[in-house]
Amino acid sequence: MTATDSTTPLLEVRGLTLRFGGVTALSNVSFDVHPGELFAIIGPNGAGKTSIFNCLSAVYRPQEGTIRLAGDDLLGLRPDRTAQLGIGRTFQNLGLFVHLDVIDNLLLGRHHLMRSGFLAGALWFGKARREELVHRAAVEEIVDLLELTPYRRLPVGALPYGVQKRIELGRALSMEPRLLLLDEPVAGMNLEETEDMARYIIEIRERLGLAMVLVEHDMHMVMDLADRVMALDFGVPLATGSPDDVQNDPKVIEAYLGGAA
Amino acid sequence: MTTVLDRPSAPTPGGAHPIESLPSIVLRRAVDTSDRIALREKDRGRWVTYDWATYAARMTTIARGLAALGVHRGDRVAVHSENRPEWLFADLATQALGAITVGIYPTSPAAEVEYLLGHSESKVLVAEDEEQVDKVMAVRKQLPDLERVVVIDTRGVDMTDPLLMSLTELEALGASSPLDVAASAAAIDPESAAIIVYTSGTTGPPKGAMLSHRNLQTAAEASGSVFDVSERTEVLSYLPLCHIAERLISGIDAVAQGYVVNFGESGESFTRDLADVQPTFFLGVPRVWEKLMAGITIRMADAGWVKRANYALWMRVGTKIARRRWASGHLKGLDKLRYGLGWLLLYRPLRAKLGLSRVDGVLSGAAPIAPQVLEFFWAIGVPVREGYGQTENTAMGTITPAGDVRLGKVGLHVEGCELRIAEDGEILTRGPGTFLGYFKNPEATAETVDADGWLHTGDIGELDADGFLKITDRKKDIIITAGGKNISPSEIENKLKVSPFVKEAVVIGDQRKHLVALIGIELDTVSNWALHNRIGFTTYADLSSKPEVVDLIAKWVAEVNAELAQVETVKRFALLPKELDQEDGEVTATQKVKRRAIESEFSDMIEGLYR
Repeated sequence: MTATDSTTPLLEVRGLTLRFGGVTALSNVSFDVHPGELFAIIGPNGAGKTSIFNCLSAVYRPQEGTIRLAGDDLLGLRPDRTAQLGIGRTFQNLGLFVHLDVIDNLLLGRHHLMRSGFLAGALWFGKARREELVHRAAVEEIVDLLELTPYRRLPVGALPYGVQKRIELGRALSMEPRLLLLDEPVAGMNLEETEDMARYIIEIRERLGLAMVLVEHDMHMVMDLADRVMALDFGVPLATGSPDDVQNDPKVIEAYLGGAA
Repeated sequence: MTTVLDRPSAPTPGGAHPIESLPSIVLRRAVDTSDRIALREKDRGRWVTYDWATYAARMTTIARGLAALGVHRGDRVAVHSENRPEWLFADLATQALGAITVGIYPTSPAAEVEYLLGHSESKVLVAEDEEQVDKVMAVRKQLPDLERVVVIDTRGVDMTDPLLMSLTELEALGASSPLDVAASAAAIDPESAAIIVYTSGTTGPPKGAMLSHRNLQTAAEASGSVFDVSERTEVLSYLPLCHIAERLISGIDAVAQGYVVNFGESGESFTRDLADVQPTFFLGVPRVWEKLMAGITIRMADAGWVKRANYALWMRVGTKIARRRWASGHLKGLDKLRYGLGWLLLYRPLRAKLGLSRVDGVLSGAAPIAPQVLEFFWAIGVPVREGYGQTENTAMGTITPAGDVRLGKVGLHVEGCELRIAEDGEILTRGPGTFLGYFKNPEATAETVDADGWLHTGDIGELDADGFLKITDRKKDIIITAGGKNISPSEIENKLKVSPFVKEAVVIGDQRKHLVALIGIELDTVSNWALHNRIGFTTYADLSSKPEVVDLIAKWVAEVNAELAQVETVKRFALLPKELDQEDGEVTATQKVKRRAIESEFSDMIEGLYR
């Protein structure tokens, strides 16, 4: 099921080019992500998948091209501004606070939504108190959605890897993003954990209708979940289309499977 | 809630045995003790309370809504949900109409849902959420009687299908109906069916045992007289509500005695829930007790030496005290002092950690439990009493008397229940708990209840001189070896399952020259052990096949064998390559192993053990 082309894209990326000195990490990359769509980016190691994410979340600044989220230009913004505009992301290597518990990690994801000042927060009085209750309630929705109830008050560092990945996803969700960037959500997971994660991603789509960009090595997962796929090789887009089309594209087979298939 | 409550009516005066139906009791409590807490539910991390007035109001509107959907006296309404307040509201609303509630296990796969809804000819299904709705939608074409599916939690459900309706919509429908629910509840025929409980059936398809309003009432009275429960009693509702044991505790006794039922977040959160609630009355199946005990022994193995020494000392003392306590009924003399000291140093913190700090009524049931497990809990001052019963006698069989614990026996018959051993050793019961029969299956009913009203339990057992019952095994599970010896496999299996590393054990040996066993390891504890011993592994199957793990279990099997008679010893064993699963037809919804299914699925493994 492809999102219809008639809708205005949520994310528009045009002619993105990123160079580090003499190395071209991304070369003229263009794609759209429509509201509610799950768009996957695949490619061998070093193809530039994570570089795209880093451009989207303003960690890298590309030399050429434009990135627009619902019409707003993202280029040149600070990373915290992109978060405020509605881009949430997870990291390939976990980016959690291991000594904090699950609830606090998720609450941190909502930091940019909090308004009350330091003093009011410390005294936990009036508006600050009401605000925390609202945020806590929002976090509980995510705890429920991702089935994190057994772990609420446990330090994240002590939990199994698969659960930590889920908390990472939960933190990105707690930002209330319009677009969710998932950087290899099942890397290093066993089969069962992978299936669980796929189930949660489907659940998020069904319940929240979020648009997502997924970077993933696990081809089965990509082919099962994605509406559209873009294949990259050395920063150059090879093909964009339905999972079937991309999977059968000779250029993709050549690059991804080394031509052996 | 703006619903006007129906005035409750007094129980029928006169008559030989008047009973007040459960819905009538709810309505009475809503007037007498309207703001007393009836239920608590952990919702998004907070405990939310429901008082009796709310309980009655929700029950009433749902009853009216169901009536508006065309549910009449005698119709079946199915509930497919995890334990939650709405389960009870829907159950009692159905009963209030004189209709019959059918519970479906939340873990039941679509095929079983189809069978249960089809066989019971349910008119309405109350389904919890997207997961359960998906199951029924997959089989709806085969269910001509199903007119409506009421969804409790509509998140993620496409509600445009005309078959579906949210619980909120149903209650809105009910709110505008004038139906007199109190009159309807008062007019219930006590001998008519109130609920159908499908028995899990380790062989063949499930059978629907019909229990009458009177059955439920007498069972509630019996447990009220055995256990010291009051309106201050707190229970945690966590076993499936479609099972008779949990239904009695959370849905029947709770209403009859007016105590508080707590719904936690269940599943993985069970241990957290238990610690939150610290119930005063608690029922565990052997698997739960084994799991709680394994949790402690594993944690102790990881503890520092001071903690370990403290634990070892007070467990030794506690066990000795427990043994004396069984004989005499209470603590005497020096034991009081010893126990007090142990309470300060070990028992109190340990019990608080488990969530058992306040329990005084503690019951183990549904399957035989290993004596070692019972001893463990008595040692820390948790007085676990064994009960024996089954759906067909409304779980009224025997109970361990408070002051006379005899290990390996399940106690004396419950008041009002007669108990007898047939010539072939089968346990027979007779009394007010005896069910009405199996729904649409008179042949099976006739095989179960004989002309004199004796219920044939299908269990083999013995009575001692004082009338204490000892259960040998399920009649059909008894192993007769090639040498002609009768052996009870479950006794051996339970001994094997005492180890924290063993989750499942299936002993085989019918018509064979000796016994062998298939053993399933406990993933949590064995993987923890492997980690400590630097053994790498990937999956359950991989872990099971590690020679070190096989060795670990072999040592344990040898230990168990040392306690067994020669013919009962397990000569060889193999580790199962997978965890047994209800969806694969290997265990029932209550996690009882389906022996025949296992024997055929792993027949190659078994033959290998006899080669």
